[in-house]
Amino acid sequence: MIAVLPRLFAAVVAAVLLTGSVHAETVTLRMSWWGGNEVHRALLDSVREFEQRNPDIRVRTEYTGWTGHLERLTTQIAGGTAPDLMQINWNWLALFSGDGHGFKDLHELRDVVDLDSFDADALAMGTVHGRLNALPTSMAARLFYFNASTFARAGLAVPRDWDELLAAGPVFRERLGPDHFPIDLHLQDVVALTRSWLVQRTGRPLIDDGARRLTVSAEQIADMLRFYQQLVDAHVTPDARTRASYGNVAPHEMRPWIDGRFAGSYQWISAIGKFIETLAPGQTVTLAPYPMHADALDAGLLYRPAMMFAVNARSAHPRESARLLDFLLNDPFAAQRLGLLRGEPVSTRAIATLREAGELQGLSVEGAAQVAALPHAVHESAWFEHARVRDAFIDVFELYAYGRIDADAAGQRLHDDVNRILGRIIR
Amino acid sequence: MSTHPSEATAIGPRRRASWLSPALRYAILIGVGLLMLYPLLWMVGGAFKPNHEIFGSIGFIPAEPTLDGFRDGWRTSTEYTFGTYLINTFLIIIPKVILTVISSVLVAFGFARFNVPGKRLLFALLIATILLPKSVLLIPQYLMFREFGWLDTFLPLYVPSAFAVEGFFVFLIIQFMRSLPPDLEEAAVIDGCRSWQVLLYVLVPMLLPAIIAVALFQFMWSMNDFIQPLVYLSSVENYPISLALKLAIDVTEATSWNQVLAMSTIALLPSLILFFVAQRYFMEGTTAGAVKG
Repeated sequence: MIAVLPRLFAAVVAAVLLTGSVHAETVTLRMSWWGGNEVHRALLDSVREFEQRNPDIRVRTEYTGWTGHLERLTTQIAGGTAPDLMQINWNWLALFSGDGHGFKDLHELRDVVDLDSFDADALAMGTVHGRLNALPTSMAARLFYFNASTFARAGLAVPRDWDELLAAGPVFRERLGPDHFPIDLHLQDVVALTRSWLVQRTGRPLIDDGARRLTVSAEQIADMLRFYQQLVDAHVTPDARTRASYGNVAPHEMRPWIDGRFAGSYQWISAIGKFIETLAPGQTVTLAPYPMHADALDAGLLYRPAMMFAVNARSAHPRESARLLDFLLNDPFAAQRLGLLRGEPVSTRAIATLREAGELQGLSVEGAAQVAALPHAVHESAWFEHARVRDAFIDVFELYAYGRIDADAAGQRLHDDVNRILGRIIR
Repeated sequence: MSTHPSEATAIGPRRRASWLSPALRYAILIGVGLLMLYPLLWMVGGAFKPNHEIFGSIGFIPAEPTLDGFRDGWRTSTEYTFGTYLINTFLIIIPKVILTVISSVLVAFGFARFNVPGKRLLFALLIATILLPKSVLLIPQYLMFREFGWLDTFLPLYVPSAFAVEGFFVFLIIQFMRSLPPDLEEAAVIDGCRSWQVLLYVLVPMLLPAIIAVALFQFMWSMNDFIQPLVYLSSVENYPISLALKLAIDVTEATSWNQVLAMSTIALLPSLILFFVAQRYFMEGTTAGAVKG
């Protein structure tokens, strides 16, 4: 018995040493994202496949829903414990990487990540001060979607320009009743829509990052508000009080949207899917041509990456992280597994995979095609989506929508408020 | 004689009032009670509805009842079942509740029964911590726990409870202690009890309602706590239910509310059972200190 012990001990030591040496070669990466059920399943499958093909890399997945993801990532970045590969929102680049050094410069890793499959626009939007901080999964813009079934009941085709949109309101009221509207806009949609309308006239983004100011005058903001009032007066969209009477519910979960009484939405390409899913059976949603001002040079789209992936600047394994990034965005397996869940992918290799598989169809593909066909050279500043700026817009639009303030006063106030906020937050 | 008729008429309405008034009261109570409970009933009903039916009606009885919500919700979209998240929740909550009770009683005992220099100031500081917003502490604490190497473990979630960090609970127990006559403790001291024996054998049995109230509050708050686990736990395998329930809610995908509701129903059961078991003490505990006596 005693003679056996040393041999046993030696065996144990050998076993420990062996496993130790195996572990030393294995790299463990941390990767984070937010999403819903389908995205979780697709990304998990892709990551498992990546591990199979790269036995030397283990990936720890850290995913959550949308709520709280920014708070969590902020704490992790502040604490220096952020994951190696992380999904970020486009406007977070401004928060975490003001000088471009917040994330790894992917140009340094271009031998691992295939950057050629991304067009110049996509790369430009992930670049901060010449450093490529993040790559987009897909691009998003707000477009006009209408409930074709309701429009058919009203005897109308979906509107093709601003005038037809304005003309549809009275027809809805007369033929379908006062509770039917061509489009439902909550205040954030109103801000986005009137911004697009204004940019078509000015041909400039609303915010100038360099000057840390709005490019438009108080009078022009007042025009945005008046245009909204015009939409309300023409029965194109329900006024704030009417909307509020349906409760504080997500627009796609509102009764009048579900049953088709609110027959349109000015919505992100990446989000329209959930609007279609909640629709009562028997109705169809179509993408409408984008309304353009007669002599507009730009459509004024809010065109931006829907979401991006970035590599932690302090990652101990940037090359392995970049390999995972490349796999998720470009590899046929990942492309097919994720499909159009997050809209039409940006990577041309992913698109080619989906086209071959015959999966490149549907509203998100139509949306991407429409964006490509529209003039969209004016890119809005990321600060337009900053929580403080967004809230300032919504607050004043709300005061105006409830008739507490007139258009001129609202324009002046918004102009002053936003300029003050921009001066403080842009550094 | 002339008073007789008026007396007779006076008795009539009063008799009628003797059953009318409770009936009316109960009717109102039941009505309001149902109104308050309706969202809960709706949640349970919603758990048995298919997803497309949930927004369609405000009735809570499902037209086509199904267990899909429970089956898919339990399986979740992750590598783990909902059971993992339930177990995690209890691995956090049970030590947290025990540590909270022990530390809060000890600290309250100190404040209520001992005279130390600067006691008033310390007590004022304790009360001030109740008013301190939790989010202020988030990043400093995160950095501290990172230095300890405790990130992605359950430790940051319950170890602080060992230091009576919830001023509210200490306050609750102090108020309760003040209502207890000091005579019993004095008698115990005369009989030769040390301070800790006084606490353990005399005070704690009398404090039981307050202790149970503290335990229940801590249990429910910890069940609902979202931001702390979100920040401290990074691995999905460590998530408690408050995080797991939100895993399915995204901005671009329609949410399977039936699964969320089904799992919320399951997550609610432990709280409900615990509350009903301890209800008697709980009611006594929350009103403790309301009337001095």
